[in-house]
Order: sequence, then structure tokens, then C-alpha cells
Amino acid sequence: MRSVRLFLSFIASLTAFAAIAATQPSDPLPVLRGAVDEVLGIVYSGKAQTQPFSVLVRPILEKNFSFDLITRRAVGPGWRQFTPEQQKKTTALFTELVIRTYADRFEAGAQPGITYATPVELAPNKRELPTTIDYAGKKYSVSYRMELAADQWRVSDVIIEGVSMIKNYRDQFDPMFQRGGAAEIIRILEEKLVQVAATPVPAPAK
Amino acid sequence: MRIRPFQLCLWLGLALMAAPLARAQQNPPPDPATREAVDDDEYAVVKVYDPLEPFNRAMFKFNNGLYDYVFRPVSTGYVKVTPVKVRDGLGNFFSNLVFPIRFVSDVLQGKFKRAGLETKKFYVNTVAGLGGFIRISDGVPSIANIPGEDLGQTFGVWGIHKGPYLVLPVLGPGTARDTVGLVGDYFLNPMHWNQLQNVNGYQWWWDTTVQTTDAVNSLPGRLKLYDEQKKAALDPYVAVRSAYVQYRDAAVKR
Repeated sequence: MRSVRLFLSFIASLTAFAAIAATQPSDPLPVLRGAVDEVLGIVYSGKAQTQPFSVLVRPILEKNFSFDLITRRAVGPGWRQFTPEQQKKTTALFTELVIRTYADRFEAGAQPGITYATPVELAPNKRELPTTIDYAGKKYSVSYRMELAADQWRVSDVIIEGVSMIKNYRDQFDPMFQRGGAAEIIRILEEKLVQVAATPVPAPAK
Repeated sequence: MRIRPFQLCLWLGLALMAAPLARAQQNPPPDPATREAVDDDEYAVVKVYDPLEPFNRAMFKFNNGLYDYVFRPVSTGYVKVTPVKVRDGLGNFFSNLVFPIRFVSDVLQGKFKRAGLETKKFYVNTVAGLGGFIRISDGVPSIANIPGEDLGQTFGVWGIHKGPYLVLPVLGPGTARDTVGLVGDYFLNPMHWNQLQNVNGYQWWWDTTVQTTDAVNSLPGRLKLYDEQKKAALDPYVAVRSAYVQYRDAAVKR
């Protein structure tokens, strides 16, 4: 009886340990792989799509990209001068722009080949995940910055051939903010989205 | 005090649970304000030296017109009549041909190992890849992903400042340093060595045809990049300038 109780309590403590370990994921690579595979699965499934890619991939991107953080950093120090409503609106508009422009990059043709290299630890909660994309006879270096927050790894920047998405937008937002503050940024984002909506969307992959 | 096995297991379990918690306390995630402050430095706006901005903006506008009204129709027609495999093969051929630019730049930067790998890649693709049309090197891990080099990058590695930002007609964004590098690259490019003149029956238009084919074959890829940048940009001039400077800075560091 004593040995049974000993065994059961040992199993119970191991289970508790495993549960705690499971809530602290240490490797963002499976998260990134999963998200990329999901997106490619939709785009290159071979099935006729009735909805634009931006609609289909939105839930995957919203789950795996930290759009709040991305928007805040893209705007920069001026973000502190935004009202909570302006922050909310800017995040929604910028998220929409990123999703639309990301989804429109896919077009009919061969599926790109993706090679994942070993992640680099930048900080305990921050990793850089280098990948190589082989597409249409050319190779592109694409690195994903991922950050751990609330037990979830999410993408916080995408660096294509050394060009950071956040830095590129920061360089554009900064003069806008200097010129007309949050209102100017919101106005330009709204105008841009109208323009993006008016441009034709590429045909889905067949 | 007598410790029972049950109590021992309980303490063991608690100790195991406490370990990751203690580790988490040693490395607490930074609060949002701290994180933002750190990242503000990382993504801080670095002023690009652009004293010729009015001229550059005019050139940028001119190039946009050129892309939309001259290059795009040419590219569309070319894509229609040229199968993708031929376009890829030609792209591989011209990329293989400019090996001397990469080799000399590697040597001038003291990257002798990389220069050796470039040479290996050139031979593999030229000999086994039908003169460079097939990129056999993709299947050889040691030479599959060698970072490309040019003279502009070499000057950067030597510590020469990039100088003012310049938008050149047709060629697009650049800097004073990269423009000088481009002149050097021109002379290192075998397409400009007039080698065809040694072939019997040479005609003046042979060179022009080769150079035009290279330029036209690269158009669809360039236009796709241009369209993507334009579509995502809120201020296309600033977006392209930022992307160019970041791209070249990263290339120099590779």
C-alpha cells in the first residue's frame, strides 16, 4: 500500500512539473513553421478560392503576428502622444494594410521552397529565425523576429534581405508625425487603404 | 522528525515545480515601457544624407513613368512569349556570367575562402549546368547560398562613407559610393569585354542583343519588386530610400 501511494504521488508531481514546463514554450520555430505551412496550404491548395487571400489568411496572421507591438514600434516614440482611441484606430488600419499587402504578394505559379536555419537568441524572450525562400528561380533571405509574451511566441518583425518592415514604416511615419501628429498618420493610412482596395487582387494559385 | 515517502515525493514535486518558476523570476520579461524604450533605439530613424532630394524626387517620378509606360509593356510582352524555364535559365546564365564582379570583390575584401567557393560555384554551374543555364550549385550545400558581392559593398567594407543618396535615371536608387562601384562593376562584367568580336562573322548588334536580353530578362522580377514596394508604401520615395539604405548596409555586413 505504501509503495502504491509512493508511486502515485511521484507520478502526480511529475505531471505537475510537465504541466508547468508545457506553459513555458522555449522554441518558436514550430510556431513559425506551423503558421507558414497554414498560409501556404491555403494559397497553394489547388482548390478554387472564392474569397481573396487577405480574408483567408487573416485569422492565421492575427493569431501569429503581434500587430499591437508592430504598430507601436513602427510609429515610434510619438506613439505616447496618441490618445487611446487614436492608438486603437492606427493599430486597426495598419494591421489591415500589412495583411492586405502581405496576402497580395502571393500569385499563381510554383509554391516557394522554404529552408529554416537555426534560430538565434537575441534575448531570453526574443529570437531571430532566419529562412531562405526559393521562389521563381531566385533566393531571398527572410528573417522573422519572434517574441514571447503571455506564453505565446508571435512574430514582431519581418526582415527581408536586411530590410526591416518596422524600420521601413518608422522611416515613413516619422515625417508624417512631425508634420501633423497622429491625425496625419491616420489620414494617410485611411487614404492608402482606399487605394489598396481599388487595385486589382492577383488571381489565386491554381 | 521522520519523513514519510509520501512527504518526500511531495517535496520533490514542489522542488521540481519551483525550479522553472525561480528561473522565470531571475529573467523576468521586461515591462512594455522598458521594451519599447529598448526597441526605440533599435528602430530609431537614421537620417539619410539626401541633399539632392528635390532632384532625386524628380528622378523617382521620372523612373515611375518609365516603369509604367515603357518597361511594363515590354515586360508583359516578354513574359507572354518566353516560357518561365527559359527566363529562369537566362537569369541563371547572366548571374553566372558576372562571376568576376563577385570574385574580385571577395578578394579585395580579403574574403579568400568565399572567393574560392565562388570559383567552385562558377565551375560547377558552367561545366555541369550547361554554361550556367542550370543552377546545379543549389544541390551542393557548401556553395548553394554564397552572399553576393560587388564593388560598392567592397568600398563599404573598406570604411568609405556611402555619401549622398542618389536616384539615377533608369538605374534607380543608389548612393555616391555605390554609383562609383557600379562603374567598376561595369568593367568587371564580361559582357563589356568585347569578347564576341573575336568570333568569326561578328556583327555589331551581337553585343547589343546580349545586353538587351539581360536587361529585358530581369524586368519581370524588378517590376514585381517595384509593384510590391509601391503597394505597401505610404510614402513611396521614403520607403524605397529606407529599403535601399537598409539593404546595402546589410549587404556590407554579410
